[in-house]
Amino acid sequence: MGRYTIRRLLQLIPVLLGTTFLINFMVWQLPGGNPFANRCGDRPCPEAFVAAMTEQFGLNDPFWLQYLKYLTNVLQGNLGVNFNQVPVIDLIKLAYPTTIKLALLAVAIEAVVGIGLGVISGLKKGGFFDSSITIFTLFLLSLPVFVTGFTLQWILGIQLGIINPTVSAGAPWSELIVPAIVLASLNMAFTTRLTRTSIVENFRADYVRTAVAKGLPRRRVVGIHLLRNSAIPVVTFLGTEIGALMGGAIVTEGIFNITGIGGLLFGSIGRRDYTVVVPVATLLVVVYLLANLLVDLLYGVLDPRIRYE
Amino acid sequence: MTKAVTEPVSSGDRPYSGSLLEVEDLQVEFRTQAGVAKAVNGVTYSVDAGETLAVLGESGSGKSVTAQTIMGILDMPPGVVRGGRIRFRGVDLLTMPEAERRKIRGEGISMIFQDALSALNPLFPVGWQIGEMFRVHRGLSKKQAYAKAVELMDRVRIPAAKQRLRDFPHQFSGGMRQRIMIAMAIALDPEVLIADEPTTALDVTVQAQIMDLLAELQRESNMALILITHDLGVVADVAHKIAVMYGGRIVEQASVFDLYAKPAHPYTKGLLDSIPRVDQKGQDLFAIKGIPPNLLHMPSGCAFHPRCVFKRDNCTTDVPALLTVEGPRRSACHYSREVLDGVAG
Repeated sequence: MGRYTIRRLLQLIPVLLGTTFLINFMVWQLPGGNPFANRCGDRPCPEAFVAAMTEQFGLNDPFWLQYLKYLTNVLQGNLGVNFNQVPVIDLIKLAYPTTIKLALLAVAIEAVVGIGLGVISGLKKGGFFDSSITIFTLFLLSLPVFVTGFTLQWILGIQLGIINPTVSAGAPWSELIVPAIVLASLNMAFTTRLTRTSIVENFRADYVRTAVAKGLPRRRVVGIHLLRNSAIPVVTFLGTEIGALMGGAIVTEGIFNITGIGGLLFGSIGRRDYTVVVPVATLLVVVYLLANLLVDLLYGVLDPRIRYE
Repeated sequence: MTKAVTEPVSSGDRPYSGSLLEVEDLQVEFRTQAGVAKAVNGVTYSVDAGETLAVLGESGSGKSVTAQTIMGILDMPPGVVRGGRIRFRGVDLLTMPEAERRKIRGEGISMIFQDALSALNPLFPVGWQIGEMFRVHRGLSKKQAYAKAVELMDRVRIPAAKQRLRDFPHQFSGGMRQRIMIAMAIALDPEVLIADEPTTALDVTVQAQIMDLLAELQRESNMALILITHDLGVVADVAHKIAVMYGGRIVEQASVFDLYAKPAHPYTKGLLDSIPRVDQKGQDLFAIKGIPPNLLHMPSGCAFHPRCVFKRDNCTTDVPALLTVEGPRRSACHYSREVLDGVAG
């Protein structure tokens, strides 16, 4: 497995070169308007300012040189400053812990609630509980995140006053619970269905029949033989979900005024501050690739039939 | 091998009563959307310690369903036990509370399945799966259970058992996997072992090895063996008596010798006639005409009548009972006497 991991990590290099090149090219080279045009209020920016900025960010250099400089800087851990001269690394440090907290909470909710409901639903297939869960998950799956978000914010935050309608600075865990529920709702429903399907499918499997024939108690048949096998697709799904959620949640962050990485990226695109867009996008690519690698390795750990060499 | 449990109640000279395991008038059906499929229609058989009963029949004859009902692993729903009794050491399993019945599984009655690859859990090492029997039923520690697993793997002759203890099922060959399945089934010295098509998924040389192993284990521990198969060749050497099933009923019951020498039911006769023989090389192989009965729409009268060469008028209306023909042998045919004597047809 160690050699496989190293090979996979080495494979990341060409992927990262390709993606960073594409990100840089699309952001800086494709016509998107002058990034300095709207930075001076209602009036056009003074020529001197534009010239100085263009000079500072090396926009007169040929593209390949810009990309090379970017690569050198990133490899040295230097993400540069944004158009307001704030170091980009500081912006990320401010936003990313919140995103990680929110993502972990959301995945935890998806795992606990999704797997829990899915297992019960699958074991009681066709019963009242199962049917209710099917309707409930269908309901959740058909609700867009912003509807769930605004509704919960209005009911819990404004009408009942149980929570703060928006998350305060520093984003304490307790205030992130409701946003995490909103963020998790869709894929929690999906996790429930995936778990249910997996349980129902494996319940009829020969090895479950064998486990019963061995005279094992039902809770052991279900808890060990059935669950371990049913968990494989669910755990791998949750793994990719961590990767996706680490990329920030623009809508949920927006509704609850959370300063996460999604909001940072979205705001920077709006302000045409490409100096932030490029490094943040690069970071998200790295995180996503690593999460995928983690899922593949996890798959090998969970299923002995899969061996990497 | 010493038994921890009481010896079976034997009632002397009556051949089919007071046996270790008795199936009596068992009726099982499957309720599906297409209708009710009568899979088992009044099956009666029994087996004693040290005895091998071969249950012979084609797919859908109800032989596996009967075994699954004995084991209590029938999928319910759609399966429903409509009637009958399954007595193990004189106690009816069908009316027993589930908790008690569970203790009999593995301890008293064990089962091995056709496809060991799917019947073993893919995610656990084989030693762990064998050892689980001891950990759950006997409360042994993990270490003790692994030691027992090695013993058993040696006993079913898996080479380098100790090294292979922590291997997974997919790392074994088909024959070795079936040996692991057998090791798991005999772990607690059961009194009855049900082998449901144990060699069907294996190639011919391995089939013989597995059958030899089963016969040997049976001699050593004096357990009763119910061998379910559709292969007449497999049973000839190991079985003591045979029950031939057709359409959810037993159509003939006899000792192996009697049955092979002179079948008393047209279906058995057809099966025996369709075995390839050296002296018929080059000639067309005999085949029973027609197809197995549709369990949703069983033929009236004798289920075999649409395919029977001995068919008369009353075969289409009257269901033949399983009656004694001669000595301990029984046949469910209106004309079993003629079939036996080779008169009719």
